[in-house]
Amino acid sequence: MTNQTDKQWAIETQDLDIYYSDFRAVKNVSLKIEPKKITSIIGPSGCGKSTVLRSFNRMNDFIPGSRVTGGIFFQGQNIYDPRIDPVQVRQRIGMVFQKPNPFPKSIYENVAWGARINNYKENLNDLVEECLVKSALWGEVKDLLQRPALSLSGGQQQRLCIARALAVKPEIILMDEPCSALDPIATLKIEDLMRELSAQYTIIIVTHNMQQAGRASDFTAYFTMDTDRAGSMIEYGVTSQVFTNPTHKSTEDYISGRFG
Amino acid sequence: MSRENLMLQIHQIQDEMLVMGSLVEQATMKSIESLKKRDKKMAVEVYNADRKINEKRYAIENSVLILIATQQPLAHDLRLLAALLEVSAEIERMGDYAKGIAKVVVNLGDFDIPVPIKEIDQMATLALSMLHRALGAFIIEDGETAKSIPAEDDKVDEMYNKVQRLLVNLMIEKPQNIDHANLLMWVAHNLERMGDRVSNICERTIFVTTGELVEIESKKKEIKL
Amino acid sequence: MKNPLNLVSTTTYGRDLNLEQRQKKATIWKALFRLSTLVGVVALAILIISIVNQAFGLVAIEDTNDRNDFISTSIKEVTKTELIQLIETNLSTNRVRTLDREEPLVERSRHDLMALVETEVFKQRIVDSYSLFGSIFTPNTFRDQVAKKHPEAIVEFKSWFTPQFLQESMSKTPELAGIRTALFGSLFLILITISVAFPLGVSAAIYLEEYARQNTWLSRVIQTNIDNLAGVPSIIYGILGLTIFVRAFEPITSGRLFGYEGANGRTILAAGLTMALLILPILITNAQEAIRAVPNSLRQASYGLGATQWQTIWYHVLPYALPGILTGTILAISRALGETAPLIIVGAATYITKDPSGLFSNFTAIPIQIYNWTTRPQQEFRNIAAVAILVLMFMLLSMNAVAILWRNKIQNKR
Ligand SMILES: Nc1ncnc2c1ncn2[C@@H]1O[C@H](COP(=O)(O)OP(=O)(O)O)[C@@H](O)[C@H]1O
Ligand SMILES: [Mg+2]
Repeated sequence: MTNQTDKQWAIETQDLDIYYSDFRAVKNVSLKIEPKKITSIIGPSGCGKSTVLRSFNRMNDFIPGSRVTGGIFFQGQNIYDPRIDPVQVRQRIGMVFQKPNPFPKSIYENVAWGARINNYKENLNDLVEECLVKSALWGEVKDLLQRPALSLSGGQQQRLCIARALAVKPEIILMDEPCSALDPIATLKIEDLMRELSAQYTIIIVTHNMQQAGRASDFTAYFTMDTDRAGSMIEYGVTSQVFTNPTHKSTEDYISGRFG
Repeated sequence: MSRENLMLQIHQIQDEMLVMGSLVEQATMKSIESLKKRDKKMAVEVYNADRKINEKRYAIENSVLILIATQQPLAHDLRLLAALLEVSAEIERMGDYAKGIAKVVVNLGDFDIPVPIKEIDQMATLALSMLHRALGAFIIEDGETAKSIPAEDDKVDEMYNKVQRLLVNLMIEKPQNIDHANLLMWVAHNLERMGDRVSNICERTIFVTTGELVEIESKKKEIKL
Repeated sequence: MKNPLNLVSTTTYGRDLNLEQRQKKATIWKALFRLSTLVGVVALAILIISIVNQAFGLVAIEDTNDRNDFISTSIKEVTKTELIQLIETNLSTNRVRTLDREEPLVERSRHDLMALVETEVFKQRIVDSYSLFGSIFTPNTFRDQVAKKHPEAIVEFKSWFTPQFLQESMSKTPELAGIRTALFGSLFLILITISVAFPLGVSAAIYLEEYARQNTWLSRVIQTNIDNLAGVPSIIYGILGLTIFVRAFEPITSGRLFGYEGANGRTILAAGLTMALLILPILITNAQEAIRAVPNSLRQASYGLGATQWQTIWYHVLPYALPGILTGTILAISRALGETAPLIIVGAATYITKDPSGLFSNFTAIPIQIYNWTTRPQQEFRNIAAVAILVLMFMLLSMNAVAILWRNKIQNKR
């Protein structure tokens, strides 16, 4: 693999700036994501966490006027290279959203669809089972596969969305506040699930809930806004370090609830 | 499947605490051994090994703080982590007592004095047995056992008084013994304090299981005018 | 007061609660809303009653020719061969030939022949008719009136809605006239209209919502135009249809281009295209509305799995929007089914007995017939117009019911 860095990072950004039309929402982010670990992005509302996350699988493309400068490297390739098809990027880097958004179809179909449209050639039934097992949902739904996905509870729906993302066989899973619409028990379940998945997948999670970042992640990136409202990364390190002894005053104020 | 990560890490800290406990047991036994043999080299070893115990304590404290900072433990988990902080501090103090005994052995030098080694040995054995069982009770959260252990402290106190009398007699018999007998008094004192520390550990165990902070008092400890 | 407990405390915290007045205002508004609903319901009821009132009632029937001149017994005892004989001897040869062409006389049933004899030989005619309520409450007024004016006539109760009414085509005689040609015309017309307008409208909506760049001046101009077109009077569309489909595209709409012997462009195809044009803005705006209502999270979920834009639209956006699109289509069909003005301009025939047989046929439609019949002076035509209205309403209701059932089935599957 050709890469300018000595280590193979899951994702590496270099001097990343993201604009919405003329407004610079995120500036100067240079971030290296450790593979097969959970990295959380925390920070006050509007500091550009979601913006950065969406840029990792080019979901920002759908926002008119959004623009990226600097580089985002995935396996040594800049995913914003004009020769790269964003559809392929999104297949390799999956996403789970804030509100559980299963398709209004059956549970089975929710998991199978992504694989099917990506020309999956092997046995779909096996794949569906595998993904539902991985997302810790199989036991609860194995007899209800033809039921509408929307009949599940919120927490189950979110795990279904994770199973759905897994079915496309991504290497990285992006999660944008995946638990903010869930109750505490469902939240803890998802966190446990993330821990298990991190053996095989790189997980990047945006959360406004810093306790969750503390509980669930190995690395934490703290973002905040400048006076020009552009978000930037203030601190990035091992979660236990960031949470017990942050280097920056601003991080400390944020995680101790004094600001943001 | 719930909070596996937190439980896993708490278990790791508990394991570290057990290791620390056995380090203290070894150090105490070795310091008494060096007193018995009047082996200064061995005593110096014990003295220096205390650093390892202190480091363990800091490591445990650090892990506990990280868990509190990152995992938001509540209720039982929170009590357990708070108790772990306290208990590791108590064990560390007990390590200091062993270190103190080793220092006495060094300071005694080759001075010829009849050490009441039999009684001291008994005290040490009893105190360490208490510690061992107290830590076991702490790990399995056995409140009943924890409640029963502090009563044995009275036995340690009893023997402490006996050693004290023996040493005072020694001073009266031979005034040139006074300095060294006084040093030996510290050995007995340290062992007696160990018993008290074990009682504190037992109190923490009860705190973890019931959530109540109670002082386990033995009858003899009451002072009357 | 409503409150048995005096909850209004003596301390008002410096505020005048003014509760009584507020409650009174609320009551007045509620009464107003209820009244409005009532007015609507009453209007609807009056409409239906007045139609039903016309569709049934007493009639006075009289033979123009004295039947005793033709037969000596009751017609029920006359044999089939005699009936045929009666027809062949008393009607003009032309008429007999026409009848024979429709269906050979010998093959017709006895009942059929009896009716034929009564209407064509005896020239049995309804000479007067009376409304349903009049027939129920003051039948004697009618009887007296008939006895005075038509002493020969017999009075009997008639439902103007008969199976024949559905089966027969146009006729100059009201009791012989039917709606079959118009019914087929309307159905065929709607079929053409929908099969042209639905795909066009949905495609345009998809393009405007999913592909076209939003908020450019061009897209705004297009959007405003579509919205306004939905409000353009239908007669304008008629003129447009006349200019484009009937005149400019005559070779196509008359079918001459395809070797069909069409006389002119005033065909059901031209009318269907005109109607399609008419409902297109309604369809587009409704479909746009439905597509806009598809939650963005659904699109994101799809894209997030590595779907292309087309896969996202085809598998998620359209199925989700379909019930909404169907609702819009129902509205559009209802509109098209009831439109008269553009059809008249495009050249629907008012008197035609031949069912539409292809895209290039001449045609008529139910609203045209209704309009036509209500302009006739005879009371009897108004009676059958009422029945035609009932048929039209039934058609509308059943089409809508089918669409609604379909929509619910889709929604229940979620
Ligand atoms: N679609 C958008 N168009 C324009 N500005 C946006 C859009 N989405 C987000 N922003 C702006 O970008 C900044 C960062 O937003 P976001 O990434 O959603 O923050 P966070 O997820 O940290 O709360 C905010 O100032 C927000 O107003
Ligand atoms: Mg966000």
